[in-house]
Amino acid sequence: MGSIRRYIIVSLFAFAGLASLVAWMATDPTRDFTASMPGADNRGIEVAVEENIVIGEFFALFENDVVGGYTGKWPRFRGVNYDNIVTERQDIKDSWSDADPEIRWTIELGEGHAGAAIYEGRVYILDYIEESREDALRCFSLSDGEELWRRSYGVHIKRNHGMSRTVPAVTERYVVTIGPRCQVMCVDRINGDFIWGLDMAKQYGVEVPQWYTAQCPLIDGDKAILAPGGSSVAMIAVDLNTGEILWEAPNNIELSMSHSSIIPGIIHGKRMYVYSADGGIVAVGAEGDDEGKIMWESKVWNHSVVAPSPVILDDGKIFLTAGYGAGSMMIQVTPDGDGYNVESLVEYAPREGLACEQQTPILWNGHLFGIIPKDGGANRSQLVCVSPDNVQNLIWSSGTVRFGLGPYIIAEDKMYILSDDGTLVMVRPDTKSYIEIGRKKLFDGTDAWAPLAIADGLMLLRDSKTMLCVDI
Amino acid sequence: MSEKTENSKNYGRRDFIEKGMRITLGLGLAGVAGITALKGDKGGYVWQLDPFKCVRCGRCADYCVLTPSAVKCYHVYDLCGYCDLCGGYLKPDANDLGTAAENQLCPTSAIRRRFIEDPYFEYDIDKELCIGCGICVEGCTSFGNGSLHLQVSHEYCVNCNECAIARVCPADAFMRVPVSSPYLIKGDFTVGTATGSE
Repeated sequence: MGSIRRYIIVSLFAFAGLASLVAWMATDPTRDFTASMPGADNRGIEVAVEENIVIGEFFALFENDVVGGYTGKWPRFRGVNYDNIVTERQDIKDSWSDADPEIRWTIELGEGHAGAAIYEGRVYILDYIEESREDALRCFSLSDGEELWRRSYGVHIKRNHGMSRTVPAVTERYVVTIGPRCQVMCVDRINGDFIWGLDMAKQYGVEVPQWYTAQCPLIDGDKAILAPGGSSVAMIAVDLNTGEILWEAPNNIELSMSHSSIIPGIIHGKRMYVYSADGGIVAVGAEGDDEGKIMWESKVWNHSVVAPSPVILDDGKIFLTAGYGAGSMMIQVTPDGDGYNVESLVEYAPREGLACEQQTPILWNGHLFGIIPKDGGANRSQLVCVSPDNVQNLIWSSGTVRFGLGPYIIAEDKMYILSDDGTLVMVRPDTKSYIEIGRKKLFDGTDAWAPLAIADGLMLLRDSKTMLCVDI
Repeated sequence: MSEKTENSKNYGRRDFIEKGMRITLGLGLAGVAGITALKGDKGGYVWQLDPFKCVRCGRCADYCVLTPSAVKCYHVYDLCGYCDLCGGYLKPDANDLGTAAENQLCPTSAIRRRFIEDPYFEYDIDKELCIGCGICVEGCTSFGNGSLHLQVSHEYCVNCNECAIARVCPADAFMRVPVSSPYLIKGDFTVGTATGSE
């Protein structure tokens, strides 16, 4: 009797266990899950309306005169030698009193990060006027900030972490601009007369980058060199006098326009235009029979958001960096038969060495200087110095002194760094240690990220809405 | 036998009601006294974390006595850039700027992304899915405006006498704040101005 009872109990337990196992196996533990599939955000339901943009259609002349006596030039993004180092004598102050540096004038601009170019007493800024919805090339007098003239065209731009973000390129005769939605305009430098326009978005099917175009135009001799990164064309040259397209270098590796700018440089004895695009890097011949031809191209450096420009070093090395988690890479370009071979020497995350998010590192005295992004771990937001031979070994950093995404520039024996909040810091560039020699909170700034410009002892800097001229 | 049953019936019915009333009253009084004592002990404060001190270490997800954690991501829409490429929503170098799981930073897909108009997207937090890991907060802080940040959600928090997360927080970001203003939402205060009892 006892054994039968035990048998029944064991059987019941066995049956209950089996039933539980079957129930457990039959139940889908993911039944309450919702699959994250593409298209759940309803992207693209808005119908795009093609806008008729007439580049350069408006002009305004103001009753202000330019003051003479200014001869200095900061004619383009990263200056005369594309290195962000001022070559002209400025007679810069070695230290600042409480009153230094003096703010000479202030102007209000449309929201953005567009930097200024300076040419013999005139300041050129590609602004966006939100009220009238215009890209406007504005010419100011360097001496007092009074506006001289304005050449503009209607284009619809919505706020997206600012609207304007490029620096014009200026020569003795011309000013060339690229607008937020890839419209290129060339005007007379003195009187603002319209010379030619080119809508890269329309002509080359350019996909306007996230947060709009940040590529600054390059003028090389009598040509404007531009990188549409369009469906079939990677880079073009335009005749400055006529607007005629002189050559188009093909887009063989599906590059698209980044926030980076074209940097010319000599690699293994040949002059090339190097462009760090979204999705890869390309070099186009800049002279002789090679002009306009793809010299080399590679997807070894392949990121979706690239803002800093390439830094061309000796012996075919190029330092590349980008934000949003991308980090940095040193590539080596070597001649290989009729072409070139491109390989990565080192690639690392932002916390593992020199990396920059928006600004391009400066090569000075054989060393690279840059500010580590906010995802750079313990070194985040610090100014650091490295040797190009080992970009992961920080020779020094600014330690507890941290900066933001703002610009930096070297003039004479000074380095200036602008923090996001409008604090200008003066540092003695040095390859051994961080030496701060002055700092001044100039204004309550927001997103002061635009490149700096220096000429005639005056520095132009800005935050998202206000530009200052400072006597340094 | 029958006498015992009758006695039991009489005793049980009357006593049950009396005893029940006494116990109910006693429990009620004890409860009120307990709550009062508890509130008195804590001085009318609840736990909260200062988003400007938070270093997004991930411990909020692991150390809370609740599973999932009572710490949740909060979104300050006023600070958000409404970007298509959102550093808090998308993995760095995501294959596509879209809603596919492989592109999302959040391990539980707790952030909902919605197209508003070109080029704006809105991001909402599903608090039921959020585990308070802070991965999105790290992305938003590194690459965006910092509009995503962590807060102790008082819908879930059981207000432990000694918060298990506060004990291990490496940034000392946890503090007690008055019950009357239990949240430290970015935009309502600035760096270094959050005040609490500790």
